[in-house]
Amino acid sequence: MTLQLGEKHFSSAQPESAARRIVTFKVGDRTFGIDVGMVREIKGWQATTPLPHAAPHVRGVLNLRGVILAVYDLRTSIGLGTTDATATHVIVVVDIEDKVAGLLVDSVSDIVDVPVSAVRPAPDLERDEHGLIEGLVLLDTDIVALLDLAAVIRDGGVEAPVAKLARAS
Amino acid sequence: MDPLAELKQTFFQECEELLGALELRLQALDEGSTDSEDVNAAFRAIHSIKGGAGAFGCTDLVAFAHVFEASLDHLRSGRVALEDAPFALFLRCSDAVADLVSAARNDEPARPRPDLLEALEQVGKAPGAAAAPVAPVAAPPPVVAPAAPANDAPLGVAALGNLLAMVEAKTGPAPAVATGWDDEPVVTPAAKKPGRDVILRISPESDLFRRVIEPRVVFASLPAEDIVSIVCDLSHVPTLETIDVSDCFMRFIVTLRTNLSVEDICSRFDFTLATEEFEIEVLADAPANDDRPAVEAPAAASAAPASEVSGSVAADLSAILAKLGPANAAMATPDLQPAAPAMPAPVAAVIEAPAAAKAAARAPANDAAAGRQRQAVSVRVDLDRIDKLMNLVGEIVITQSMLVECVRSLPYDVYAKTAEGILTLSRQTRELQDHVMAVRAQPVKAVFQRMPRLVRELAQTLGKEVRLVLEGENTEVDKTIIEELADPLTHMIRNSMDHGVETPDERIAAGKSPEGTIKLIAEHRAGRIVISVTDDGRGIGRERLLAKARSRGLVGADEKLAPEEIDQLIFAAGLSTAEVISDVSGRGVGMDVVRRNVESLGGRISVDSEPGRGCKFTLALPLTLAVLEGMVIRCGDDRYVIPIASVIETQHLASTPIEHLTFGQEVLRWRGEITPLHRLGAVMGSSGSPNENIIIIAETERGDNVGIAVDEIVGQQQVVVKSLEGNYGTVHGASAATILGDGLVALILDVDSMLRLAATGERPPATELKLAG
Repeated sequence: MTLQLGEKHFSSAQPESAARRIVTFKVGDRTFGIDVGMVREIKGWQATTPLPHAAPHVRGVLNLRGVILAVYDLRTSIGLGTTDATATHVIVVVDIEDKVAGLLVDSVSDIVDVPVSAVRPAPDLERDEHGLIEGLVLLDTDIVALLDLAAVIRDGGVEAPVAKLARAS
Repeated sequence: MDPLAELKQTFFQECEELLGALELRLQALDEGSTDSEDVNAAFRAIHSIKGGAGAFGCTDLVAFAHVFEASLDHLRSGRVALEDAPFALFLRCSDAVADLVSAARNDEPARPRPDLLEALEQVGKAPGAAAAPVAPVAAPPPVVAPAAPANDAPLGVAALGNLLAMVEAKTGPAPAVATGWDDEPVVTPAAKKPGRDVILRISPESDLFRRVIEPRVVFASLPAEDIVSIVCDLSHVPTLETIDVSDCFMRFIVTLRTNLSVEDICSRFDFTLATEEFEIEVLADAPANDDRPAVEAPAAASAAPASEVSGSVAADLSAILAKLGPANAAMATPDLQPAAPAMPAPVAAVIEAPAAAKAAARAPANDAAAGRQRQAVSVRVDLDRIDKLMNLVGEIVITQSMLVECVRSLPYDVYAKTAEGILTLSRQTRELQDHVMAVRAQPVKAVFQRMPRLVRELAQTLGKEVRLVLEGENTEVDKTIIEELADPLTHMIRNSMDHGVETPDERIAAGKSPEGTIKLIAEHRAGRIVISVTDDGRGIGRERLLAKARSRGLVGADEKLAPEEIDQLIFAAGLSTAEVISDVSGRGVGMDVVRRNVESLGGRISVDSEPGRGCKFTLALPLTLAVLEGMVIRCGDDRYVIPIASVIETQHLASTPIEHLTFGQEVLRWRGEITPLHRLGAVMGSSGSPNENIIIIAETERGDNVGIAVDEIVGQQQVVVKSLEGNYGTVHGASAATILGDGLVALILDVDSMLRLAATGERPPATELKLAG
């Protein structure tokens, strides 16, 4: 316990080296990232059971060792249509608040350490109406968009204007 | 949670059990029981509550419990005869204690009950309640009793509380504990009494204080009169520079003169010390007990100093007992039983002297031992752990059915061998599941226990006299059902109290006894739990009910109903026949709510009424909500499970005449009635192209029938119910999900929710994951 505390002190004592460890993954040619701490596991695509009249980005539910898990299609969320899922597609199992959810992506690329100072706020883009992107990081030549997972799961690119107004107020 | 808060939590849990026990015992006594064990158990319960409350500083509770305990003690001692005892008062007091406990639990201010306290104080002072000849003898000194971990009271935190309470009581009188550490070891009168000399070396771990244990608590677990001396060894205290004030550096050497066995001493440290924290060395037997009368008085005095029954009375007790013949002693013994295990040694020795008394003393002791054994074999397990176990068993059930499907595709010779193994496996899995379900099962007592209080309070509010009879309280059901039982039962009892049972005057006029009876009976029948609430009141007022139903348009003006059909109207929404809308019921939100709740659990409720004679509500519920018997159906590419409880029958679509109404609504004729038909694929948005062949006739919560067209019936099986809400949210049309043999998820259909989905026609408000912010 003392040791852990010591480590924490150490890292916070040197803020310039503070880093976020990010898992990056791809949808099409776009790269996204989330904090590694949110990722519970990464598993191959597995058939889901569709839910009646669910939002378009909800692919359905699957059985993760006895727990029912909803899977969200990130491609639908960012407005690129529905993923034609095959065995090579990947489900990133994430913890969001007290729930567990699956995020369907094309592939997982890497785990990288990004200095906190390198994360730029997302430009106030017209297109990102749903606030899915929390920040941007330039990594070599790629732009990694850091996702606000709660927004991805909540909105899924289909949020009705009324609901959006309610949220904004 | 910090350890103290955790202990406190445990204490409140124990309080619930103790309160239940208290109420049951008082109830039994109120109904005429003369069993002294009922009195003793009630006394022990309130005593344990008081002890624990003291340890956690719940002063209001302690104050009330103390007076309550004192008046119960009058019963125990025989100073107040059982037939004269005001059990109605005691029951109200037990309600008050329950209120105080819940106030303490929620950190709310408690409602003072001076009325009850005053009434309690009067108990025992009433004329005519003069002491029986043996009474003063049998009255155990109140301070002795706490030392005895009550025979069958839970030996948990409340017992620890007892110890703490006892320490407080002893701070003055027990010199061994109270005196400061001088150079001279503290010596008590115990040095002169008989017994073996035992040296105890106590070397607590340095975290003793952080375990919320004080040395005096440790010593308090030993009989004070046995302690000859306590020496504190301070040689392990480090230098001032390195000392950590929260560490314990004290070691103790305790010299005992005792009759306790080594095991006994060890067991007294169960709550305070780890086994490696103390050593016991037995020196030698002390001289024989010849000079007993000479030494027992001081010893007893040190045992019972703070009480109003002073040490000298305790001494008298031994003297009187010694003079009594064996028969008399035997007679007195049962009264002594609760305190017996920790009776000061000399007194216990006197009791054991005459042969007959010895036998009598042993009997209760054996009972106590048996009680302890029963406790030893039952374990408190976190419900969470059982849930995990249950989940795992669910997994095994799924894996096993997965195996069965795999094996089917094997060549015959391999299949034959494997199938045998799989058959055994599935039998064992079923058995395992049953056993785990049995672990989760709880007696309905947990819910039934709340009802007597409800009846008492309602009886007072309504000015009625009602006796509640409970039967089958030990009938067990899964905890998922237990949790859901309280509301319907409360409503049903309320209904019977308010509408069923008449006022005493009305009852006398009707030639009945002024006191009404409500019977609450639970039993297992055909794999379900059946609970009935029967009253002997006026029965359902059919005319009024029918008139009301007509005025609300529920029944046509010229429609004729059979008496039984009228009775069923009581479950219709918005009907109440109470003339006066009372606090109790009468707002018409009673029985229809009950019916809806019960049906959403897959249960049924029915009513039988006989005008003037009474009314009987019967509730039948499944034994668990964790698994259900379901029919697996397919529609397009998707499979669903429909609970068997909802299915009435199935038939071929082709042989059923179907008619089309407006807006694509289809109906079919079934048993002469026009029944709406819904195509599952369309309602649930199934993938693939549905090709319906089968119609399932299902029943809704309202009792209407509906046809559901599906492609195929895949089979019937027990499925493990998995929540969708946990990680997703509400899914329209489904109540939950399950995992089928191939590992895929199937939705468990909820017929009513499905119909609502069908009725909205368009997409209902999007289901969304509910996240804060």
